[in-house]
Amino acid sequence: MSAGLYVHVPFCLTRCGYCDFNAYAGLDHLRSRYVTALVREADLAAPAWDDEDVVSIFLGGGTPTTLEVADLEAVLRHLRDRFPVAPDAEITIEANPDTVDLDRLATIRAAGFDRLSMGAQSFDRTVLAALERVHEPESVRRAFAAARSAGYENVSLDLIYGANGETVDSWERTLEEAVALAPEHVSAYALTIEPATPLGRKVAAGVVPAPDQDLQADMFNAACEVLRDAGYRHYEVSNWAKPGYECRHNLGYWERRPYLGLGAGAHSYRDARRWWNVRPPEEYMSLVEAGTPPVGGEERLDPSDAYLEEVFLRLRILEGIPASWVDDDRADPFLASGLLTLDNDALVPTERGMLLLNELVLALTA
Amino acid sequence: MTDTQRIRNFCIVAHIDHGKSTLADRLLELTHAVADRDMRAQYLDRMELERERGITIKAQAVRLMHDGYELNLIDTPGHVDFTYEVSRSLQACEGAILLVDAAQGLEAQTLANFHLARDAGLTIVPALNKIDLPAADPGAVAKELADLLGCDPSEILQVSAKTGEGVEELLRAVVERVPPPEGDPSKPLRALIFDSAFDPYRGVIVYVRVAEGELRPRARIRLMASRVETEAEEPGVMAPEATPVDRLGPGEVGYLVTGLKDVHLAKVGDTLTLAGKQGAGEPLPGYREPKPMVWSGLFPAEGGDYPELREALDRLKLSDAALHYEPETSMALGFGFRCGFLGLLHMDIVKERLEREFDLQLIATAPNVEFHVVRGEETVVVHNPAEMPVPGTYDRVEEPVVFATIIAPSDYLGAVLDLCESRRGEQVDMSYLSPERAEVHYVLPLAEIVFDFFDQLKSRTRGYASLDYEPWGYQPADVVRVDVVLHGEPVDAFSSVVHRDKAYVYGKQMVERLKDLIPRQLFDVAIQAAIGSRIVARETVKAKRKDVLAKCYGGDITRKRKLLEEQKKGKARLRRVGRVDVPQEAFIAALRVDEGGAGSKGKK
Repeated sequence: MSAGLYVHVPFCLTRCGYCDFNAYAGLDHLRSRYVTALVREADLAAPAWDDEDVVSIFLGGGTPTTLEVADLEAVLRHLRDRFPVAPDAEITIEANPDTVDLDRLATIRAAGFDRLSMGAQSFDRTVLAALERVHEPESVRRAFAAARSAGYENVSLDLIYGANGETVDSWERTLEEAVALAPEHVSAYALTIEPATPLGRKVAAGVVPAPDQDLQADMFNAACEVLRDAGYRHYEVSNWAKPGYECRHNLGYWERRPYLGLGAGAHSYRDARRWWNVRPPEEYMSLVEAGTPPVGGEERLDPSDAYLEEVFLRLRILEGIPASWVDDDRADPFLASGLLTLDNDALVPTERGMLLLNELVLALTA
Repeated sequence: MTDTQRIRNFCIVAHIDHGKSTLADRLLELTHAVADRDMRAQYLDRMELERERGITIKAQAVRLMHDGYELNLIDTPGHVDFTYEVSRSLQACEGAILLVDAAQGLEAQTLANFHLARDAGLTIVPALNKIDLPAADPGAVAKELADLLGCDPSEILQVSAKTGEGVEELLRAVVERVPPPEGDPSKPLRALIFDSAFDPYRGVIVYVRVAEGELRPRARIRLMASRVETEAEEPGVMAPEATPVDRLGPGEVGYLVTGLKDVHLAKVGDTLTLAGKQGAGEPLPGYREPKPMVWSGLFPAEGGDYPELREALDRLKLSDAALHYEPETSMALGFGFRCGFLGLLHMDIVKERLEREFDLQLIATAPNVEFHVVRGEETVVVHNPAEMPVPGTYDRVEEPVVFATIIAPSDYLGAVLDLCESRRGEQVDMSYLSPERAEVHYVLPLAEIVFDFFDQLKSRTRGYASLDYEPWGYQPADVVRVDVVLHGEPVDAFSSVVHRDKAYVYGKQMVERLKDLIPRQLFDVAIQAAIGSRIVARETVKAKRKDVLAKCYGGDITRKRKLLEEQKKGKARLRRVGRVDVPQEAFIAALRVDEGGAGSKGKK
């Protein structure tokens, strides 16, 4: 079965106020020890995965490009040695505009990473400031041009909308700037306030207003329109791609195909079991160095868990669910109100339906 | 059994905050009824709730031994809601200490309690309290009090319950002035039940004052109004902890473990006698069913808790004869009870006890008074807004009114009159207790004073005014029922009967509150207030447009699924009204009487 490999790099130059990922600034001194641990964990895990067909590898973070290029190359080479990685596998690396230049991008490309996912977030200086991102809009354009010069033919831009102070107009300008660069793939996320982040605390304290959900809905609609007009296909709630450039790795999560996560806090899934590594990098490294799988927790999916996942993930990727899964009287009100459409006997959310996906999922699985 | 000549039964009556509970503490200490190490402030206020709120809800009876005399102190509640219980406890006494704060002077409840005590034929022992306070003016207050009682100021005792000064003298005056009880021990037993309690292990316990005859352990007894027989399992006295005795004779005050399990049988005010031929033929006079003044629907927040709520009300009713309840079904809230209370404080206390002692979460509908709907010769009593007929189907509606006594410093008289006028009050008379203090009487609709009147009175007089009131019958009223309509569906729980002039304000307030409390749905929700078919206020909760998890990558599907499961659980807690999902909290918050509005927290 086709599987994915995820490698987590928990290092960042600075922490952004909205981010609740397992990432740390100021742990750079652990980098080479961490790379060794990744290699070791791959050795521990690989035997169990040798009957899978690895079709994607994704280096995420944190900021993977904070690692030395030689280390990135070594990790990738080791994964190819140890796992049955398909020759045409999609190999993605995440990058922040400020951590890359032409030289670096070229060597990373030469090391085998052929897809670049760039954390642009916005082309509006005030929005970047509200997100506590350290880069300037100009760095995104420069890094993007560098990526093209380095030979990347599959680049994705990550965007975030709905930060404090952003208007629909400024968001549309960001979308147009992004489209002007002609990336193969765009991810556009509504800013979500996570309680355990500096921004979450500011919102809780009333220092920063919580994002206006109606405004974010308008921004979502604007994204749909601008990106559709520019030739992108909306294939997941927050993801658009030129035909054939959908992110194969992320589709693996949404299609509930197996994946193995390596690194601190990384998540894995296989055979109705989900498990995840311990989050603190030091704890992760110590366990791996002792030859112990660094698992921090797991859950076994019972059929109702699996069904709920199946429904909400299928609806997210617009594959929809077979109409036969749901009683007509559950689905009919949503077909009538235009949140769902029927496409080849599948119930598929409309654009409005995508915005109310939680409601759809709860109603259809109640 | 003590010779009746050496028994004194007395109570302390006072305006709230004039120091009754503190004086009771001193009396317990002085007579060594409580070992010093067990002494705690407000010893007699047994209920946790009482001590927190600083008010006395249940009458208590304690036996004190002093100089060879048996002194039975019967504690009485001090809030206007509980006048009935005060009158019950007064009937168990021959004397009353009328306690007046030497700094505050006479207050409305001082007068009300004085009248109650005098009407019950009690000997009044007047005393000024808090004479140690710098602001005390014992001379002037003694004169006010002497004028009221028609006695000489020198007969008024002066004490400080706080320091203990004068308390010994007060006790002596009780022995000297209060007559001993009368009663023939050879006559058939008659004992007044003036309080009751339910003990989970021992069943129903009644507090009694024996008028005639003797009560002995294991006697067969009969409760005359309830027509029930049982065995006198254990007579005893509170000294102040329960102490069994061989018999209770005429004039004695004590408790009796009855062995009864049924909560409704031990009615406060009933007469207890012996079963069979040895029993008395006539009960003691004065029993009446306490009459509820304020009604509200109580519903379990969790519909499945209905049996628990019924059980809890059965229990509470045992020690709270004034509590009324009957089953009620609400379209919006399901099964519950329409409950009658003496006042808002009483309602608050019952609700809080149900929640605290029985671990229930409750939704209380807007409190209302009892209306009489007159149609020709027929009068229908309505104490549930849902039962109020539509206009045009009756001749008139009558609402309860009260006779209110307000005492306030003369400087604030204008503010007091303004308030009463704005509450549809009709002045009866006005007089001056002294050049600085005035007393006014008004007839006011009960509905106007039951909610925030007291707080308004206090705030407009900087806390100096005092209030007491008593029922004064019914008078015609121009009232209408205001309904709240949610997306076309009337919500019975939000209906209220209000005066026509206030209908718009009520309706507007309810729809504005609900606008903030009802979560956005998948469609626009109209919230309307209506009188009959006429809409008087309207708000809209706009349809929800966005409810989706933005990010779903990085492989942590578990967390996303759990978020959805949480949301699903939240949905299961919603109540569906027509097509609209309404959270429990919306009912609780929308129906909450205004902060500071109920005016029922803390002492009055």
